[in-house]
Amino acid sequence: MSKGTIVSVSGPLVTASGMESANIQDICRVGRLGLIGEIIEMRDDIASIQVYEETSMVGPGETVETTGEALSVELAPGMISQMFDGIQRPLDEFMKKTQSNYLERGMTIAPLNRDKKWEFVPAVEVGTNLAEGDVVGTVQETKVIEHRIMIPFGVKGKVKSIETGAFTVTDNIYVLETDTGDKEFTMMQKWPVRQGRPIAKKLNPVEPLITGQRVIDTLFPVAKGGAAAVPGPFGAGKTVVQHQIAKWADVDLVVYVGCGERGNEMTDVINEFPELIDPNTGESIMERTVLIANTSNMPVAAREASIYTGITIAEYFRDMGYSVAIMADSTSRWAEALREMSGRLEEMPGDEGYPAYLGSRIAEFYERAGKVIALGSKGREGSITAIGAVSPPGGDTSEPVTQNTLRVAKVFWGLDSSLAQRRHFPSINWLKSYSLYSNDMNAFVGKKLDVDWSAMVTHTKSLLQDESELQEIVRLVGVESLSEKDRLKLVTARMLREDYLQQNAFDDVDTYTSRNKQYEMLNTILLYQGEAEKAMDLGAYYDEIIEGTENAREKIARMKFVPEEELTRIKEINVQIEKEVKVVLEKGGVESDA
Amino acid sequence: MPNKIGVVGDKESVLAFKMLGFSVSFASEAKEARLIIDSMADKDYGVIYLTEQLAEMVPETIKRYDAKLKPAIILIPNHTGSRGIGKKRIQDNVEKAVGQNIL
Repeated sequence: MSKGTIVSVSGPLVTASGMESANIQDICRVGRLGLIGEIIEMRDDIASIQVYEETSMVGPGETVETTGEALSVELAPGMISQMFDGIQRPLDEFMKKTQSNYLERGMTIAPLNRDKKWEFVPAVEVGTNLAEGDVVGTVQETKVIEHRIMIPFGVKGKVKSIETGAFTVTDNIYVLETDTGDKEFTMMQKWPVRQGRPIAKKLNPVEPLITGQRVIDTLFPVAKGGAAAVPGPFGAGKTVVQHQIAKWADVDLVVYVGCGERGNEMTDVINEFPELIDPNTGESIMERTVLIANTSNMPVAAREASIYTGITIAEYFRDMGYSVAIMADSTSRWAEALREMSGRLEEMPGDEGYPAYLGSRIAEFYERAGKVIALGSKGREGSITAIGAVSPPGGDTSEPVTQNTLRVAKVFWGLDSSLAQRRHFPSINWLKSYSLYSNDMNAFVGKKLDVDWSAMVTHTKSLLQDESELQEIVRLVGVESLSEKDRLKLVTARMLREDYLQQNAFDDVDTYTSRNKQYEMLNTILLYQGEAEKAMDLGAYYDEIIEGTENAREKIARMKFVPEEELTRIKEINVQIEKEVKVVLEKGGVESDA
Repeated sequence: MPNKIGVVGDKESVLAFKMLGFSVSFASEAKEARLIIDSMADKDYGVIYLTEQLAEMVPETIKRYDAKLKPAIILIPNHTGSRGIGKKRIQDNVEKAVGQNIL
């Protein structure tokens, strides 16, 4: 512990002299108020400290005290359903203690509840040899998440004693006989947020993340353990996409980082999530969610930390063998926080004023996603899927944050303001977006459903692609100039757009579509095209088919509102299509082959 | 570009066109007429002469080629006499083209 003196204060950046014994990334208490800060630059004995709290009324001459510890999070039962700020202070406790709706400064609050007792069930017996990452016991933290207490990293030994029963996170629960003598351990681990937690092996992601969002699951799937970016202009629906995935993704745990966005959006989460039921577990979605909030009016420096805090918590649950999804909304605000600090440090600016290391910082975050085998003798398999929203100013995706994100994220869901204006939600542009996992994921889904899913998806994509080309011709010379087959293509593509890709997040049924329902819906639309084309080959006219299949098309339009339990109703539409096309053929006097 | 000319109608009315080298097909009911016209259109015929009597049976088929460059479907009277719809059609087309009935 060394003490220094503040030399200057510039917003969240404080420089202090007399800090020769401090190290970079040490946490300091700054000034009389004891604000929390982190050293980000050292020159001789002058340390630059980014302060995670408001610095007004802090002035030169006040003392700075280093703690000698890196910025760390506490990892133990008690994190789920909680909302933390960027440096893992629980916000509800904070409010109780300060009686204020805003962040009071200089408060020290333990990140995790120290008084709550958790029922610990040991998983090993006395005398077992354990290595780092091994599970010693479990705590049923919520109805759906069993919190596995693991041996901290760098520790191994023989279990000398282990307790059973209710304990707080700071009570000693087991003793290990290590090479350097007996050591007592609690349920809690601390981990520095800027360091990725070590793993045994990284795996190739093969399984898709089911989000229940048709455009994502069908056209641009993301793998469990993959990374995706959602860039979009204001009002295009980035937050809704993120919320939808947080609500419906088939993962065990969701870490939602609200980073520099409106406070109301986090309020939405708090209001909505507890009422929603997870289709995979049947329990409230809040039982598997950790929230990290650094809204736009909260200190900028803590915004920078919030992303790391989030991913460290995600990594901890991944190590237990869970699949975790982390949403960061929005990484642009985070990059702007980096820019602000960089500017105050008087570093040489790069593109658009962002620091030159923007790319490597973004990569650092996304590269912590992945599917891995965790440390430990059992070889637990866990994954982190990182999904980051990006808000490019003016919707121009050629700006540095988007570009640097795309370099590391393999999935790009480009939101489009013109689609959003047409009330096409989710406004993911099907021509601009891509997923580099498509092939593997489609093959996986195809095998699961036992259908040629890849071919269906390819056909869908080419139809949508053709549509945009045909639309150009139509704009120039009118729809009459198209051949009847092309006009049918336009009709089918329109069905795909309006009846399949468009999805209402606020409708009880439409908000989530299972893999089976997606298959049935897509199959029906493609079947319609197939049947109509066949009829055309037999001599039926476009107008006749359109008129004759009006009822079937109306049913297709309502398909999305068919509840999951009544999927046979979609199959009935297929029969109706075939029947109506047959009637058209008979009326037109053309023999059908059936 | 040379185009073929087809004639569709009842045997008595259209047989004579064969002498001119047109390809002549016979039809007496809607189903036949429709198939013949569609197949001629597919084979890149430029002009199809169709008897008025048959034209009344297949209005959708005629409408289908209205907006197309090829084939031009021209209605002709048959041996029982003209029904006036052929002439009406020409007048309509002229009106569409020049904005006024100049005939």
